[in-house]
Amino acid sequence: MNIAPRYLGRGSWLARRDPRVLILVVALFIFTVLQVWDLRILLGLLALAVVYYRSAGIPWRYIRRNWAVVFVFIGTLVVVNTIIAGGTTETVSLDEAHVIFRLPLIGTPMSAESLSNGVTLFFRYLTMATIGFPVAFAVAPSDFGIAFRRLGVPDKFAFGVDLTFRFLPSLAADFQRTVDAQRIRGYDWSAGAGRGVLTRLRRSTPVLVPTVVNAIAGAEDTIDAMDLRAFGTGRRSWLRELRYDANDRLLLLAFAALLFAFTVLGFAGITSELYVFPFLLDAAGA
Amino acid sequence: MTTTTLDRDRLWEVSSRTIVYSAIGAALYGILLVAQVPIPGTTVSVRPAFALVPFFGYAFGPIVGFFTGLVGNMIGDQISGWGALTSWNWSIANGLVGLIAGLAPLYLSRWTNGSLRDRAIGGAVAGVIALLIGFLFVFTDNILQGIDIGTILTTLYIPVIVADIIATVILVPILVYAWEPVKAQLGR
Repeated sequence: MNIAPRYLGRGSWLARRDPRVLILVVALFIFTVLQVWDLRILLGLLALAVVYYRSAGIPWRYIRRNWAVVFVFIGTLVVVNTIIAGGTTETVSLDEAHVIFRLPLIGTPMSAESLSNGVTLFFRYLTMATIGFPVAFAVAPSDFGIAFRRLGVPDKFAFGVDLTFRFLPSLAADFQRTVDAQRIRGYDWSAGAGRGVLTRLRRSTPVLVPTVVNAIAGAEDTIDAMDLRAFGTGRRSWLRELRYDANDRLLLLAFAALLFAFTVLGFAGITSELYVFPFLLDAAGA
Repeated sequence: MTTTTLDRDRLWEVSSRTIVYSAIGAALYGILLVAQVPIPGTTVSVRPAFALVPFFGYAFGPIVGFFTGLVGNMIGDQISGWGALTSWNWSIANGLVGLIAGLAPLYLSRWTNGSLRDRAIGGAVAGVIALLIGFLFVFTDNILQGIDIGTILTTLYIPVIVADIIATVILVPILVYAWEPVKAQLGR
């Protein structure tokens, strides 16, 4: 069983950037997108996100399924939100909305505003997911600890992040070993389909409990090793050094400028107003 | 550091033990998230791995619990390809569950200082309380994403709470029962 983050973007232009850049860009860009409700502008941001994503060089065939899950999740959330909103938005009440039709059976009104809101919400989520994928596949797992440290996270917790990634393969192997050991004793991890939820949950305990207890008990060696190396008694040094180069600074400056610009535009009401599609207004007879 | 009978003064201690338990909790949570039990007739799945968040908080303290939930959820998102930071508010919500469960000595001292049976029941109670409060943080999606409160409540909050309460109530006491004798043997 191989459970580990996949470093699929290895060697790409984006993967050669300082890992802090990828983390900071996600934060800067997400807060930029959150201020935009005009789909016309949002599509521009999506195009930028796609260019950024392509620079990570992530092979499509390895992440098709990930994207399918993203689309299904976002689509479901948006559809449910649109139905529950019942023709209204945050700023438009049902009296002010331009109702186009009502859903059969439940009679929920669908207005030009709520439908435009739904489409915009879908593209907001899609844009944020697009900018988030490179963090999943274009940052070396061993770089997360040092990246968070250089971003101001205290030494101990940054090391904790590093340690978490290091534990992934060994704990996954322990988990598989536990499943195999229990299987030899007659337990079938995959059996139980069609039985109740509680039964299946209880059936997970012969695997879950030994894995957890063994992992905690086995931690004593790691704790002793760290204590013997005076962990936490002084400032920690890291093997990897992170330095911004010209491209890193340029990228960060660009996204910071983007955030600043859109914050100003948002406060001015230019990007924060929902764009209602004219053809939907026409359909509503507006 | 003792477990499940933490002194109030040592709740916020950050030692090598805290960091290692945190890393183990987060790694286990991230790995075991792949195992889910669907509830028939719904789109919700019970995640047995979620019980690790309140358990680690309850057993090892609020810092371990917060790290397990926060970083564990980020790891799970990272492995699935969603990206560690894309749903940062959900990671914080998971972390808050672990944190609140770790504060059980403050609000469930009768249970945490009682017999093994009391401590096991206390774990389940702390887990449920932590779940109900911690996942309120996901309502920030209303401010951040503009999602309707009703949508968050019916599509996100309630399904997650129901699914995770089932896992917590069943598995946390079992984990406490399993861990306590081992802890005594190790002299912790």
